Parts: sequence; C-alpha cells; structure tokens
Amino acid sequence: MKPCTLRPSFVRAWPCIASNFSTSFFQLPPPPPPPPLAHARNVTQIRHRRFHSSLSAPPPPLLASSPPSLPPPLFLRPPKHTTTVSELLEWHSWAKSLAASVGSSFEDSDNGPDSSLLCRELNWLMDDVLHGFDPSLMGKAVARDDPDIVISLRADVQELYSLWKQRIEERRPFQYIVGCEHWRDLILCVRDGVLIPRPETEIIVDLVGDVISKDEGLREGLWADLGTGSGAIAIGIAKILGNYGSVIATDLSPVAIQVASFNVQRYSLQDKIEVSEGSWLEPLKGVEGKVAGLVSNPPYIPSDDISGLQAEVGRHEPRLALDGGAEGMDDLLHLCNGAASMLKPGGFFAFETNGEKQCEFLVDYMQNQLPGSFCNVNTLSDFAGIQRFVTGFRNR
Amino acid sequence: MTAIFLRRSRIGSSPHPPNPASRAFSLRSLFSLAAPSESRVEAPKPSRFRGSDGSAGGSVAGSGAPVGASWVRRLEEALGRSGCPARFGGLRSFAARAAAVEPATSDGLTVEGILSSQWTILDESEGDWKSHAAAIAQSISLIKRRLQWKSLLVRLELLSTQLNKPDLWDDPQHAGKISREHGRLMAKMREVMGFEQELLEHIDMIKLAREESDADLELESLQALLRMRRFSKEKELEALLAGEHDSCSCFVEVQAGAGGTESMDWAAMVMNMYKMWAQHRGYGVTVVDEMPGEIAGIKRATIKVDGEYAFGYAKAEVGVHRLVRISPFDSNKRRHTSFAAVAVIPIFGEDFSHVQINESDLRIERFRSGGAGGQSVNTTDSAVRIVHIPTGVTATCQNERSQHQNKASAMAVLQSRLDQLEMARQAQMNAQHTQSLTEISWGNQIRSYVLHPYRMVKDLRTNYEVSDPDSVLEGDLDGFILSYLSDLMDKDEASP
Repeated sequence: MKPCTLRPSFVRAWPCIASNFSTSFFQLPPPPPPPPLAHARNVTQIRHRRFHSSLSAPPPPLLASSPPSLPPPLFLRPPKHTTTVSELLEWHSWAKSLAASVGSSFEDSDNGPDSSLLCRELNWLMDDVLHGFDPSLMGKAVARDDPDIVISLRADVQELYSLWKQRIEERRPFQYIVGCEHWRDLILCVRDGVLIPRPETEIIVDLVGDVISKDEGLREGLWADLGTGSGAIAIGIAKILGNYGSVIATDLSPVAIQVASFNVQRYSLQDKIEVSEGSWLEPLKGVEGKVAGLVSNPPYIPSDDISGLQAEVGRHEPRLALDGGAEGMDDLLHLCNGAASMLKPGGFFAFETNGEKQCEFLVDYMQNQLPGSFCNVNTLSDFAGIQRFVTGFRNR
Repeated sequence: MTAIFLRRSRIGSSPHPPNPASRAFSLRSLFSLAAPSESRVEAPKPSRFRGSDGSAGGSVAGSGAPVGASWVRRLEEALGRSGCPARFGGLRSFAARAAAVEPATSDGLTVEGILSSQWTILDESEGDWKSHAAAIAQSISLIKRRLQWKSLLVRLELLSTQLNKPDLWDDPQHAGKISREHGRLMAKMREVMGFEQELLEHIDMIKLAREESDADLELESLQALLRMRRFSKEKELEALLAGEHDSCSCFVEVQAGAGGTESMDWAAMVMNMYKMWAQHRGYGVTVVDEMPGEIAGIKRATIKVDGEYAFGYAKAEVGVHRLVRISPFDSNKRRHTSFAAVAVIPIFGEDFSHVQINESDLRIERFRSGGAGGQSVNTTDSAVRIVHIPTGVTATCQNERSQHQNKASAMAVLQSRLDQLEMARQAQMNAQHTQSLTEISWGNQIRSYVLHPYRMVKDLRTNYEVSDPDSVLEGDLDGFILSYLSDLMDKDEASP
C-alpha cells in the first residue's frame, strides 16, 4: 500500500484545521521556527509591518464552533511581564507554604501528590515562567541585598497566585496549570478537555521502535494512533519513523483535534501526520487491510471507578478519554475487531489497558473470538510492574 | 580575596613540605582562576597538556607559543640526518631515551645544576636573571615531581616498544588505547623538556649578551625569563591535573551517614557546598537524583558537574566528611557529630571504550509507584530506577520532567558507574596507583568541620586547615583540593 492513496480524503478535512487552529487555539501564532530561519523571518515581518501596518488585522476565527480559546502554555508566552525578585520570592514562599500545608493529605485521600512532589512542581512552574533567569540566582539577589532586581516573566505575579491556588485548592492538574506536559523528549501542549499523556504510554512508542527496527516493511507503511488526544503517540511514532511511512491520528473530540494539530505543527510534522476528527476507525475508511500499525490508549477505566479517581483526574480530565464502559472494555474490544479488519498481514498493534485483568481478557478474546486473526499476542508490563499493554501481529 | 586566603594558616606538616614560596604562588594563581566574580567566567581556562592523538604534542594551549616545538624540530632534523628507517617508531623511542639525557647550556649548566647551586630567589621585580632562573628551575622540578617524571619516562619507553610491534594494529581497540596514552604522555614530556630547553637557551643568550656587551639582547632575554617565571606557576598548577581522566566531567554523590535527620541535614549542607563550589568555578550543575529526608536534608543525592577538569578537582573530595555542632534539631542544644560520604564518578568522553550494556541485563522500574497507574493516576513524578542485574549496580533519576528523560539520565549514571567499576578492576590488575572511588568505608574520614566549641575545618589527610567554616561551606574548597592534590603527588613520587 502506498500512503498517498488515502491522502485526498484527509486533505479535505485537513486544510480548515491547519489554517484555523493557530488563530483560535491558544491565541498563538504558529510554532516558533528554528533559530536560523527565525532571523530571516523576523526581518521580513518587520518590513511587512512597516509597510502594511494599517492593513494587517488578525483574521477572524474560521470555525464558529471552536472551543473557547485559552491563554497559551506558559513556556510559549512572550516574557512581557516584569516584577522584582522580592515580589516573586514572596509569591514563591507563599506557594511553598501552601504546598507544605498539604502534607500527605492528598496522598492519603486519593493517592494524590504529597508536599515534596508539589514543591518539585513549583520549581518547574518557576522554570516555565522565568525568562532567561537562573532560579538559583534568586538566592544571590537576596545575598547581595538587592531584592529589587527586575526580572521578566511569562505571566504576571497575580496570575501566578491564582494558578497555584487552582493547583492546590481545586487540585487542577499541574500540566493544565503550565499548559504542557513533558513526555518522552517532547514538550506537548495540553489544555482542559484533553487527556494529559501518561508516562506509561511512552512505552508504546518504544514498542513500535522495536518492531520497525526489525521490519523495514512496517516502517514504510501507514501507522494509526486512534484517540490521539494531545497527539503524543502519533508524534512519538512519527519521529522514530524518520523519513519513512506516515501517521494518521484520529480523535472524536474537537478540542483534542485542535491540540493535536497544534502539537504536530509545533514539531513541524504536518506533512507526516494527518490529524483527523472522527470516532475510532471511521477516519480510516478506505484503507481496510492496509494499515501497517495500529496503536491506541483508549478510555479503559470502568464507569463505576470514575467517581473514586484521584481528584486531578476525576474532576478535571475529560471523561470521554477515561470512561471505558461498565467493564472498561468497550473501546478496547471495538479496537480489537478494528485491528483485525484494518491491519495488513503482518501488521502490528499495541493497546494500553487498565491492568492485568483487561490484558488477559483481551488475549483470551483475540484467541477465542477472533481465531486465526492474530499471532504473537503478548502482554507487557509498565515500569511499575503492572501488566499494561497487549501487543501482537495480524496473521499473514 | 588573596588577602583572605593568605590569612589562613597551614598548620601541621605533611610528610613532604613543599617549598613555601611555590605553594603561596600556586595558591595565588589558583585564586586568579577562582575569584568569585563574574570575570571568572571570562578568565582564560587553565591551559592543559594536550596531545591525546599523539601528533600535536608540545604545543601549549592558551599560550599561543609552541614551547617545545623548537626542541622537537631539532630532534626531527637530527633524525632526518641519521636516516632512521622506521622514522616514527624511531622518533618515539629516541624521544623517550633523549629525555633521560639532560639538556644543558653551552657551558654545561643543567636545571639540576641550577637547583644545586641554590641561587637566592629574589622578588620578580628585582630583575636578576639568576633569581628568575632559580625560580623556574624550582618550578620545573616541582612539575616533574607532580608528573611522576621517572615513571612517566619508563612508561613511555614501554609504550614505544609496544607501538613498534608490527602486529599492534591486529587489535585496533588495544592499539588505539596504547597510541592515545603514548600521545598524551609524549606531549607532556615534550612540553617539560621544551620548557627546560628554553630556560637554558635564555641563560646562554644572557651570557652571550654580557660577553658582547649587548644590553638590548640582555634585557630581551631577561624579560623572556620573567615571562617564563610567571608562566611556570600556571604550569605547576596544571601538573596537578595531569591524570588520564582528570579533564572529564563528573557526578558527585553525597550520602547521609547514620544519625537520622541530623546527618541528612549535614548531607544537604555538603551537597550545597559542592553546588556552590562548582558554580563558582563556572561548571554546569544539574541535580540528577535527590532523596529528601523526612524532616530535613537529604538521604542521598547525585549532581552532575559539567566542565573541563571537574573530575580532576572533585576527586580530591572522595571520602567521609564529619561535622561537629550544636544540633538545631535537638531541643536540649546538645553537641552532635554527623557524617556524610562523598563519591565522585568520572564521565568518560567519546574516545573512552565504555562498558557495553545489554538491554536484557537491565531491570527498569518506577521508583515510586502506587495504585492502578495508567489513566487512573495523574502524577508528575516519573522517577525510574535501573538495575544492572549482573553487577547489582543501580541508578536512579527523578528530577527530569518525563519518564523517558529520567530513564536517559539514569542510564548515563549507570554507564559511568559501570565504567568506573571496570576501571577500578583494570587498575587492580595493572597494580597502578589508581585510587578506587567505588567503595567508601565510613572509617575513611577525610575532613572535619567543627562549628562548636571552636570553629575550624581541617583536612585529616593533609592537615590543611581553615578557621572560617562558613566560607568553606559556601564552596570555598580550592585550598583543600589543591593541598590534597599536591600532597598526593608528593606521596606518589616518594613511593617506588
């Protein structure tokens, strides 16, 4: 199969997203270009502004139904706010004592973060908000008895107070606070309405890496990340595919589609990854039996467990990305059937699950309900030792 | 800065008390490199002996002048005339032998001769050539001692013999190692010989100028000697860091001893001391791993110190550090003694043959994990621990923001630990004077920090001491490091 056979159908869906997301989502221009180009582009922009300043107004958003725009992730904002070291320190010590007051209460109630983890998050928040200023120099400013040194920030101090309050009092996930999650070697933008990629899921990309290093044919094929969310797995795979193959990333949620598209563009992978809105396999129509690899981290938490989840997850992350039905297996089973019809002979699949029980159920289902469809079906543990992944190949 | 430094006394005596003049001088030049101001970053990096490839030996980085070049050129000319068939092999062994023959002036004066005539060393400003010459000769002698001159020549001869074997390159890895070591030692030898030769040439010139009453020539040569005298102090310092791996970056690890919070707090103070020391030196500092104590301080922590000669300096800190103070954690205000162990691991560069790690020998685990994981949990904690099953060596990283990067950092620590283990094993086999840094016994106390009832920091190895513990705890460690390194060299030279 050649990836280009399916391009036309995607291209129809793609342009409006591609041209639109950057203005409606995060209110941000497209991702910063690499440094050498940046210089050249800045020059042309300045010239452009000089000659056409009266004419250039930001284009209105094209999609009326687009989700409300949010402030961009902290680390991408321009450092246009200033404050004194003493003011920042005051906020910092307030934030630290708020974190310390938590003790192990979150941990005891729902396995949430303890004080020491919150303090580390506070350091990361400082990293993201400070611009070109080494946090360890803060102490020095104090030592030199000059607390009025002015530093530039990516958010004003008032916003920092409100962000940290949200973190502690509302248990808003740290990743939504700073607007990004460090995942593998990537920095992925995230926002409310999109699942924050988990460390466990990084392993799926390693699994794909192992497979393509042994099978060049799979490397050159089409890979699908179903329910892509922030686009994490799709981008991870696209990067290890290198100059080969292509990836399609699908999601039902328009917010996820926009976030994923934003991240794809930030890593300049728009020629390699098609982001497509639709339920599970729908966007794959027309490529049945031709997909080289199919991976997914679908919702797999049993519905009854949702109410007891850690506050950061249960109160803030999208239920659409978590709730897998009564047993948590609804979407996983749908994907198993899908893999049987979509994958080409020898094609690879990897699914993330809730743990040992679901893994065993899936292996059993594939062997007994879909006999002859798959081979080398395996379960794999994450680094915490929990059976987390089911992998295998479409029979040749 | 110098004033503060000189106020510190060096009480007690080491088995080999170095010349007081040269110590004061080398300490001062150390400080010129380490003054705690922004300008330190701009200050020229201490130039070091180069020549790892064995070809560009003799030139001194930073000085701009190829000190040993004239000597080497003459040697090569001599060889060209002699028509030596195996030119390069011949050059190598000839050079090693030639080093045993002392360079001398036209009237037979050698560096040894200058030393034994005990010319009075006056201040630099006196403009007395004998005084300059004596000071330079003293430096050369100190540098040779620090480089373990005699064993260096023996080793060089041995390596030359091996390099001349026709089947050497049958094992390219071994050959590369031999040829790199040869190049490194050869460069050092050439540099010192060149320096010696240059001194004697200037003396010849001064004598000639006097015979011919050429005042310009005499002044010129005198000034050249003065430049050499100043330069030689820098060389003395460099000779302390001439070990094969001294130029590497390193990991510094601190572990709290028994005694709970008290010791954990001390471990954190020690770690902080190294962070500040490294920052003052202009090194990059990254926290790789940190296990905080329950109430205060750290149980254990690892930092990466990035920069040239980080390992060369930091290796002087390996051992147990002892603190005596009134405990801030004891409501009865009693005096407590706490311990913290320090380990230093070199990070070998590209040309080092690293220990091969098989993926299948590794067990990778989440460092702290609880609950169901996956979608049910949102935590920013993605610390991993890697266990190398065959050796039991482990590495942990928890300060990166993604699991992937924690794993990569932990792998780097693991690689360095395994490399160090392998190096220690080989060192034992070769019975060289390599200090094993892997095993630190709690009996191996190297330094005492007393905050009460009196205030003093004393190195138990060198007896170097300072009466201002605060400055030491703020990272002012260079005096300790330098005195230890010079003592180490003296001892090494004394032992056969």
